[in-house]
Amino acid sequence: MRALPYAFVGPVMRKEFRQMRRDTRSLVFMIFLPAFLLLMFGFALNFDVKHIPLAVVDADNSRASRDLADKFAATEYFDVEARLDRSGDVDGLMAREKIRAALIIPETFSEDLLAGRSPSVQFLIDGANAMSGTTAAGYAASILQSYSQRTTLEALERRGARGLTPPLKTDVRVWYNPELRSAKFLVPGLMAFILMVILTTSTAFSVVREKERGTMEQLRVSPLPNAALIVGKLVPYVLLSLASAHLVLGLGWVLFGVAVEGSYVLLLLAMILFLIAGLAQGLLISAITQTQQVAFLLSILTTILPTFILSGFVFPIRNMPLAIQVVTYLIPAKYFLVALRAIIIKGAGLPAFWGQLVMLAAFAAATLALSVAMLRRENQAGRRRRREGAS
Amino acid sequence: MADHSIEVRSLTKRFGDFTAVDAVSFDVGRGAIFGFLGANGAGKSTVIRMLCGLLDPTSGTATVGGFDVGRDPEKVKRVIGYMSQKFSLYEDLTVVENIRFFGGVYGLPAKTIQSRLAWVLDLAGLEGRERSLTRTLSVGWKQRLALGCAILHEPEIVFLDEPTGGVDPASRRRFWELINGLSERQVTVLVTTHYLDEAEYCNDIRLIHAGRIVAGGSPRVLKEEVIRNPILEVATPRAVDALESLRNEPWVLETSIFGTALHVGVADEAEGRRLILERLAREGIVPERVDRIVPSLEDVFIHKIEEQAGTGPLGEAGP
Amino acid sequence: MRAILSILWKEFIQLRRDPKLFPVLFISPILQLLLLGYAANLDVKNIPSVICDMDRSAASRAFLDDFVNSGYFTVAARVERTEEIDARLDHGAAAIAFVVPRGFADDLAAGRQAQVQIIVDGSESQTATIGVNYATMVASRHSQKIMLDALERSRGRGLKPVLVDPELRVWYNPDLKSRNFMIPGVLGLILMITTTTLASLGVVREREAGTMEQLIVTPVRPLQLIVGKLLPFVLIGLIDAVFVLAVARLWFGVPLRGSAALLLALCLAFMLTTLGTGLFISTISRTQQQAMLTSMFFIMPQMMLSGFVFPVENMPPFFQALTTVIPLRYFLVIIRGIMLKGTGWAELWPQAAALLALGTLILGLSVSRFQKKLD
Repeated sequence: MRALPYAFVGPVMRKEFRQMRRDTRSLVFMIFLPAFLLLMFGFALNFDVKHIPLAVVDADNSRASRDLADKFAATEYFDVEARLDRSGDVDGLMAREKIRAALIIPETFSEDLLAGRSPSVQFLIDGANAMSGTTAAGYAASILQSYSQRTTLEALERRGARGLTPPLKTDVRVWYNPELRSAKFLVPGLMAFILMVILTTSTAFSVVREKERGTMEQLRVSPLPNAALIVGKLVPYVLLSLASAHLVLGLGWVLFGVAVEGSYVLLLLAMILFLIAGLAQGLLISAITQTQQVAFLLSILTTILPTFILSGFVFPIRNMPLAIQVVTYLIPAKYFLVALRAIIIKGAGLPAFWGQLVMLAAFAAATLALSVAMLRRENQAGRRRRREGAS
Repeated sequence: MADHSIEVRSLTKRFGDFTAVDAVSFDVGRGAIFGFLGANGAGKSTVIRMLCGLLDPTSGTATVGGFDVGRDPEKVKRVIGYMSQKFSLYEDLTVVENIRFFGGVYGLPAKTIQSRLAWVLDLAGLEGRERSLTRTLSVGWKQRLALGCAILHEPEIVFLDEPTGGVDPASRRRFWELINGLSERQVTVLVTTHYLDEAEYCNDIRLIHAGRIVAGGSPRVLKEEVIRNPILEVATPRAVDALESLRNEPWVLETSIFGTALHVGVADEAEGRRLILERLAREGIVPERVDRIVPSLEDVFIHKIEEQAGTGPLGEAGP
Repeated sequence: MRAILSILWKEFIQLRRDPKLFPVLFISPILQLLLLGYAANLDVKNIPSVICDMDRSAASRAFLDDFVNSGYFTVAARVERTEEIDARLDHGAAAIAFVVPRGFADDLAAGRQAQVQIIVDGSESQTATIGVNYATMVASRHSQKIMLDALERSRGRGLKPVLVDPELRVWYNPDLKSRNFMIPGVLGLILMITTTTLASLGVVREREAGTMEQLIVTPVRPLQLIVGKLLPFVLIGLIDAVFVLAVARLWFGVPLRGSAALLLALCLAFMLTTLGTGLFISTISRTQQQAMLTSMFFIMPQMMLSGFVFPVENMPPFFQALTTVIPLRYFLVIIRGIMLKGTGWAELWPQAAALLALGTLILGLSVSRFQKKLD
């Protein structure tokens, strides 16, 4: 039995290829769906919080207050959706999601300014959307801060000080992503996320389908080693998903300017390891379930949310509690994303991410081994059952 | 009520370029056991499915129980029972659960289901196994259960598609007892099978090959009238070699292997016997026996197929 | 009626008999919720930074301390030379660096403009944006302070800085906990994934197993069949919803300010759309694998474009228009509204109407496509 396990891999591979070819729709989906999704999401999604619907309540209606309101209107961060002179309606507008922030300027605004007092201004945020809420607060504080600075300068000028310039000049340098476009950040994450979900769900069916159809019985009776079955099922999907992944990469480059700044060879290596890891996860699910229904549900539920949340795609892992950070070690997409971002955005070399590749390889190997072990356990259980009670 | 339970006129089904059923016509009387014989892929199942309203015919008409299958398939379904070739009950339900389920789906009142339940269990010999998961039953029992579920609602017409496939001989005989019982109660039964010995149990048979009816009639008539030429049975352990040597001889009308013997169709009994012995002697084969036999349905079938292949379609032979 | 009940009863038996299905249906959503509840954190605080003080004066220390004291940044490293910043940003040890060049204090004392530098790793653009915002604000404030201190010393008269400092009030979610924002979304997502999947596979499974053939040869009507098959999934969805809500309320303390009854009722409206979608998928798929891949085609876009994480108003107009046919979008408004804002029917009826319209449409389409035929 140990003699030539790899000899058996061939027939399994060929069969799997043939079955794949006959199901055109599935084939098309496996190859093109990731690229299609990237296309859609790449264009639709970004983090740049802009056009926050804002209401301006100006109880003062002086030049100063209008000036301040204009500052908010002028930026692309806020869209002034309502100008009110009293704050009564703000509640309703917030509840109906017509506005998500409100600037409330009191009656005494210009008075206070002239008298050299600090006027009290209120900024209301719809906290339900915590993400944009935080950012909105930041923008508002920023705008008001520069308004403060200018007002102070003007006041000083009135008192006779001339030619004042702010003592500090801040030079901001942004590395790797000068325009701070979230696309550069998002697209690699999207790639990893989309690929992972499609990969795992594709292979989740492969073994369990045979169990449901009864052909598994036939395979068990043959001398085919479990390892050969697993590998034979894996290889066609690896090849298929390589094609798919390249399509995704190509699209990312052509449409979103996400080019491979570093070594393509390293990228290929990282990609292959990632693909194997993802497919292996699907195979494991296939090995431990009995019905396609459960396999599908399990694969979706273990990839969609966990990958989305824990891979570092959207939420920085740094911020998570330690216990959760440990869990992220089980997410292949996490390792791939680090390597991907390093190669694509930073053009970094192997030293920056070799650890990730090691982890990917370890994940893949462990998962595959587990799949084989699970199949063996099932075989033994099946043999025992058959011995005990033939009907 | 129509005279016949089932009336079929030029029923045809095409899947793309492939013609599965080609202008088939026949009638089935009330309470008859009607058999459809043919190899796998000949089109038997497709015919049944059309008659059950499961497939739309490409052309032609069929009336089942007085209803047109093309126009009123749902009305047809109310008066028929169907047992498919592939086991199609729920494997993860118990025997009783399956029966109750189909009883409910057919809209039978609870009391009726209760009494039918006992009846089906008895019929299928499944007393004591009510709570078994259907998955754990052997093929024979499964088929009997499927038959039971098919006739729960006491339909007037029953379609059985290869009901005895993979079943042991004892169960097969039992099954046919059930079918006979149905026929006695004036239930029309249309059966498909590729077991030619089972065809003997039918009142009326049609032979189907490549989507066409190639022969038809009662078993007796078929055997007596279809094959006019004598059939000689050649018993020899080297049947395969004998087949190879005789197959291409011009005086051999047809030949096929039957177990360890060869059936050879010849024009004349005596002459045929002589030629056979002579030809086989050249191969060093000495048969134990060369006898004339009464052709079996299988002989009829093969004869018809070879006839088809040689000279083209015959059309259908009436009863 | 009998037929529907029979089918319902059969479905429940089958569900119960699949040992792995139960944990997957009921336990994994809870697990997902726990995971997400703790992990989903967009609050950008404690950004690790590199401090590069090349001046080493009291003035430079005062400036750099402002960053540390702001609470937004933590010190990952203090370096002497700018070259040492590269490695740390590259490896992700820090996301931002503050550089004070030599001569800083001298420039200030002489009344010249002093330069400082903020370097940020743009690859994590979100952290970068917010980090830059915070940093420039801190720098600007410090600048203002210097200005006023200098003036006070030179003029000797108290000139209070005029600061327009906003009083920040956050509604509905005072601590701006992103968890409160994300968890309601997770409920919607789980509901959508589970019910769409179950519905899309439900019919195809029977077709693959061959039992559909036996079913459609009976006089059962398509509507009866569909109702019988889908109703159990409604129940499963509701149970899931109650579980998730319980965990959200009791474990995470996410508020439920509105009516729970209204929420569950609108869950039903939402499930109308998801089950309809699943059923539609099952009418166009021959095998379970096809159904699965086709479902992904529907599920992934819903997840990303519905406003679950990425705001709808940031999307280009084409996509914003597209989201009007995404049921999850309306459900998210509903659930966030009811849980966090305590909104009720008066504000949410447009969303409810949209769900009912979409649901009826897709369900109707699927039912009409459902043939009691084999081909």
